[in-house]
Amino acid sequence: MLDFYPLQDEKSTRISQFFKNLKEGRLTTTKCKKCGKLLWPPRIICSECLSDELEWVDLGIVGELYGFTEVRLGAPLGFVDDVPFCVGLVKISGLLISARIDDAKYEDLKIGDKVGLKIVELEDGRVFYRFTPMK
Amino acid sequence: MREVAVVGGGATKAGRREASWKDLVQEAGKAMFEDVENLSPKDVDSIFVGAAQPERFTFLSYVAPMVAEHLGITPRKVVARTELACVSGQAAIRYAWSCVATGMSDIAVAIGVEKMYPPDMAEAQTSMACVLDREWDGVNCFPAPPFFAITAQRHMYEFGTTKEQMALVSVKSHHYSSMNPIAHLQKEVTVEAVLKSPVVAPPLNLFDCCPMSDGAAGIILVPAEDAKKYTDTPMYPIGSGQCAIGNVINNLASLTEWIPLKLAAREAFRTAKITKDDVDIAEVHDCFTIAEIMEYEGLELCEKGKGGKFIEDGEPYIGGKVAVNPSGGIMGCGHPLGATSIYHTIEILEQFRGDVHKGRYVSDAEIGIQHSLSGAANQHSIIVYSRGLR
Repeated sequence: MLDFYPLQDEKSTRISQFFKNLKEGRLTTTKCKKCGKLLWPPRIICSECLSDELEWVDLGIVGELYGFTEVRLGAPLGFVDDVPFCVGLVKISGLLISARIDDAKYEDLKIGDKVGLKIVELEDGRVFYRFTPMK
Repeated sequence: MREVAVVGGGATKAGRREASWKDLVQEAGKAMFEDVENLSPKDVDSIFVGAAQPERFTFLSYVAPMVAEHLGITPRKVVARTELACVSGQAAIRYAWSCVATGMSDIAVAIGVEKMYPPDMAEAQTSMACVLDREWDGVNCFPAPPFFAITAQRHMYEFGTTKEQMALVSVKSHHYSSMNPIAHLQKEVTVEAVLKSPVVAPPLNLFDCCPMSDGAAGIILVPAEDAKKYTDTPMYPIGSGQCAIGNVINNLASLTEWIPLKLAAREAFRTAKITKDDVDIAEVHDCFTIAEIMEYEGLELCEKGKGGKFIEDGEPYIGGKVAVNPSGGIMGCGHPLGATSIYHTIEILEQFRGDVHKGRYVSDAEIGIQHSLSGAANQHSIIVYSRGLR
């Protein structure tokens, strides 16, 4: 099936552990055991030293908003019904990851705000991460 | 390696065209061949077709032989499609140039085409959202506007750049494109009109964003020693720089300083044996107003963080420090992805020939650069052109 979300089961990808962890409420990624590089997105080899000895590490569940906007016009298929909605870049454990920022209006957000992990489940059982402002 | 010349080019009017992908490429191909004397499609031995997403926009694949067929070209040396998102057209030029320079080809065509207005606009945006890593960034709704909106927000936050300064870029581009008969948008805008245009993704309004366009453009490259057989006014690619750092947003070198641009520019100037002060015309990738501001900085035309002041002071206008986008840029001329870089290459050729509206003519220009970027601005490409062989 073609949509924006990655295929997640063991038959489709060798990083299915990421999605299993996510289902348990854990945002994780791979870290190289050899050179220590924290890799995002998760990988099966280290892009720094090409080692395939990687381990899963937790990134925590609270991040900081580095930048954000609100999609008001020009949304792609699959997003049109949600307009307007916020998206942002979240600093978490030294990474800068893009995400939907749920339960927020553009005017209510500011750079540096704390945001917490939110897991969303798709109709077919796949999961994905988003963030939501922390009060 | 031998010196190479661009001997001519042709393009369609860009815009929301009542024409198919194949119509566009035929229009541009005919215009291109009509621009060059003593050369027919049968003489061409190689063709490179810049096309970003024909599979998605028009459900066509394997397009290079298709274009050759439609233009009566029978490639006997090299035939390929080039894809590098918004830089697909410059990629076609770079490979055509390389093949002629090495002797692998004697007469090469670089032609780009994109048909971006399918019946449903959301479908086109869906295609664009597959450019940034679809599984990790696209999935979070990052077609180009949200990404560049956050880039603008950070640039404003870190350097104090203002929406008014960004609007000035749009005013300049539309000013020049109003005098360009093949431009997608040919109306002037004011700062007030930019600021009052609908919000796409704050802080970006509609007139901070380039249009998506239908269009095609092509050029012909030959060995420099043969150039005068075909035209009195060839131009010469004399230097090149290209750099990509990272791909997903997390792995960019920086959001607010385009390091790959800086590196590509330095390499382009080094290989062309020029300095930035020698540049008379800079055709740069103003897909969003913030992009052009960051390009002044990345090309080191001004200091980091001072791009807003650079436009405020009028420096990128004709008569200022460097004429930036006298074509009207992507903002005014439009952005048919695979063809965009080639449109702006033809602009430099026409400027050298003195073949443009006098209101946007850069007199006595000797050096022009054509810059394109792609993806999350993680990849930048520059080719330096000279009016004379140096």
